[in-house]
Amino acid sequence: MSISPREIGSDLVSIRRTTHSPGITLVVAGAMIGVLTGAPWIFPASFVTVLMNFFILVSMATMWNLMAGYAGMVSIGQQAFVGLGGYATLYFALKGMSPYVAIPFSALTCALIAIPVTYLLFRLRGGYFSIATWVVADTAGIIIGTIALFGGGTGRPVPGFTNFSPTQITNFAYLSCWFVALVVIAGTYLLLRSRLGLVLSSVRDNEISARSSGVKVTSARRTVFIIAAAGCGAAGAVLAIAQPYVQVSNEFNIQWAAEMLFVSMIGGLGTVEGPIIGCVIFFALQQSLQSYGAWYLIIFGSLAVTIAIWQPRGLWGAFRDKFHIELLPVGYWTRSKKQ
Amino acid sequence: MSLLQLEGVSKKFGQVVVGEQITFQLEEARAIGIVGPNGAGKTSLFGIISGDIRPDAGTIHFEGNDLLKLNSAQRARAGIGRTYQVPRPFEHMTVFENALVAAQQGARLRSQHSYDLAYDSLERTGLSEFANQPAGSLTLLHRKRLELSRALATSPRVLLLDEIAGGLTDLEVNELTAIIRQLQSDGIAIVWIEHVVRALLNTVDRLICLAAGKIVADGDPQEVLSSAAVRELYLGGKVVGESVQ
Ligand SMILES: Nc1ncnc2c1ncn2[C@@H]1O[C@H](COP(=O)(O)OP(=O)(O)OP(=O)(O)O)[C@@H](O)[C@H]1O
Ligand SMILES: [Mg+2]
Repeated sequence: MSISPREIGSDLVSIRRTTHSPGITLVVAGAMIGVLTGAPWIFPASFVTVLMNFFILVSMATMWNLMAGYAGMVSIGQQAFVGLGGYATLYFALKGMSPYVAIPFSALTCALIAIPVTYLLFRLRGGYFSIATWVVADTAGIIIGTIALFGGGTGRPVPGFTNFSPTQITNFAYLSCWFVALVVIAGTYLLLRSRLGLVLSSVRDNEISARSSGVKVTSARRTVFIIAAAGCGAAGAVLAIAQPYVQVSNEFNIQWAAEMLFVSMIGGLGTVEGPIIGCVIFFALQQSLQSYGAWYLIIFGSLAVTIAIWQPRGLWGAFRDKFHIELLPVGYWTRSKKQ
Repeated sequence: MSLLQLEGVSKKFGQVVVGEQITFQLEEARAIGIVGPNGAGKTSLFGIISGDIRPDAGTIHFEGNDLLKLNSAQRARAGIGRTYQVPRPFEHMTVFENALVAAQQGARLRSQHSYDLAYDSLERTGLSEFANQPAGSLTLLHRKRLELSRALATSPRVLLLDEIAGGLTDLEVNELTAIIRQLQSDGIAIVWIEHVVRALLNTVDRLICLAAGKIVADGDPQEVLSSAAVRELYLGGKVVGESVQ
C-alpha cells in the first residue's frame, strides 16, 4: 500500500500513555495494596468480612463491566460461572487439591466451558442474548444440583482446611478474595491498555464503524466472554472458600448478576474505575442502612435507575468527563515530533 | 483485471429498490464520482461494497477475489476503506485513537508504525491539532474529516467517500479536492458520492448517475451531466451549477 511511505517508521509522533506522571499513582496504589494485604491484622473482624464480600463483588462487577461496558454484551447469567467456579473448587478439593491452589484451576475450567457456550449464545443479539445467558445459568445450576458427588441441591462443605487454625482459615479466605480482586482489576487494566483494549473501546463506541475499520468484533467479544467467565469463576471459587460451603441456590443465584449490573451502572460502564466506585457506594449504603432490612436494596435500585436515566455514564463517568481525571489511564497521548 | 468489479448487483429493502443490476468496474488509482437524487441507493451501494449490507443478487470482486465471502472487517483489512455520510466516530476516544484503531486493525500495523500511520492520516486532513481531543467534541465538519482520516488509516486501496464535502466553503472544497487528488496520485482508487458537483468535477475522471437503484448514466463527467437521462432526473437541467441536489 502506498500511504506515505516517506513517513512510516520515521517517528512522526511520540506517544505517552498517561497525561500525568505515574509516580504518585504508583505510590498511592502501593500503599493501598500494602494496607489491604495487612487488613486482617489491622482492622476488626467484622470489617474484614465486609471487605471480603466487597472484593468478591468487585471481581464480578469488573468482569461484567468488561462485557457490557466495552463489548456490548449484557449478561444476566454470569452467576453461571460464579457457580461453576465454586463447584470446580469443591471438585478439586474433594480430589485432594488444596482449595487455594484450586482457584486458578477453577477459573481455567470456567474459561474452557465458556468457549462452546459462546458458539451457542453468539447466535443471539441484544435482549435475546441476555435472556439466553440466564437460561444457561439456570441450566448449569440444575445440572450441578443433580450430581450426587456435589451433595445434590443441598450442597456440600468444601474440604481441605483441616491443617489450618480457624484464624488462619479466615485470614486466608480474606487474602484469597483480595488477591483475586487485585489480579482481576490489574488484568483488566492491562487488557484495556493493550491492542485488544483499543479494539474494545471502539466496539463500545460504535460497532458498525469498528467493523469497517477492520475490527473483528465477534472474536473480540468471544475473548472477552471467556475472560469474564474465568474472572467470575475465580470469584465463585473464593466465595466457596469464604463460606466454606457450596450450594446451588447460593452460588447460581441471579442476585449476583443483579449486583454486578447495579454497581457497574452506578459507578459507570466502560471505565476501569466505575465498577469499583459502584461497589464502594453499594457497601457503604448496605452498611449504613443495615438496620432497615432490605431498604438498602430499594434505595440502591432507585439510585441505579436514576443514574441510568440522568447520568448514563455513571458517577465516575460524569466525574471524569467534568474534571478530566483518570486514575487508571488507558489512552494514548500524542506529541508531534516535527519542528 | 479491474481492482473492483460489480456484476449485476441488486438489493431491495422490502418494496424499496436500492440496487438493480448494478454493474461497473473500477481500475487501479482511478476516481469515480457518483451522483443521484436522495434515496437513489448511493449510500446503500457503499454498504454493499463495504459489507454492511448483503446484496440479494450479483457478484463483487476485489483484486480478483470474491468479496461477498468476506465480512466487513475482512474487507477493511483487504483494502476497502469507507466513510459514513452521517459520521460514526468513536466518541469517547480521542481523535488520534480513532485513527489508531484503523491503523492497528485495518492496516494491521503495530506500535510505532501504527502511531505514525494514524498521525499521518490526521495530518493529511488537517486534524492533527485535535489529536488528543475526544472525538465526541468535534464539529460536524471535523467529524467528516475524521471519517476520511480513519478510512485512510486502514491503508485502503479503494476509498469510498460518502458526501464529505457538504457544507464546506469554496476554499475548503479546494483544500479537500487537493487532498483527494494527492491520495489518488499515491495510488488509491476513489469512489466519491457527492451532491457538490464542483468538487467532483475537479477530481473524478468518470461519473455515474444512480436513480432508483439503477445506473442511468456512466462515463465522462461533462457528458453524463448533460445527458438526457440526467437532465430529466433533475428537471430542467440546473445540474451543471453548484449542486445537483
Ligand atoms: N437498512 C435499511 N432498511 C430499510 N430501508 C433502507 C435501509 N437503508 C436504506 N434504506 C432505504 O433505501 C433507500 C436508499 O437509501 P440510501 O441511503 O442508499 O440513499 P442515498 O442515495 O444515499 O440518498 P441520500 O442522497 O439522501 O444520501 C432510501 O429510501 C432508504 O430509506
Ligand atoms: Mg446517502
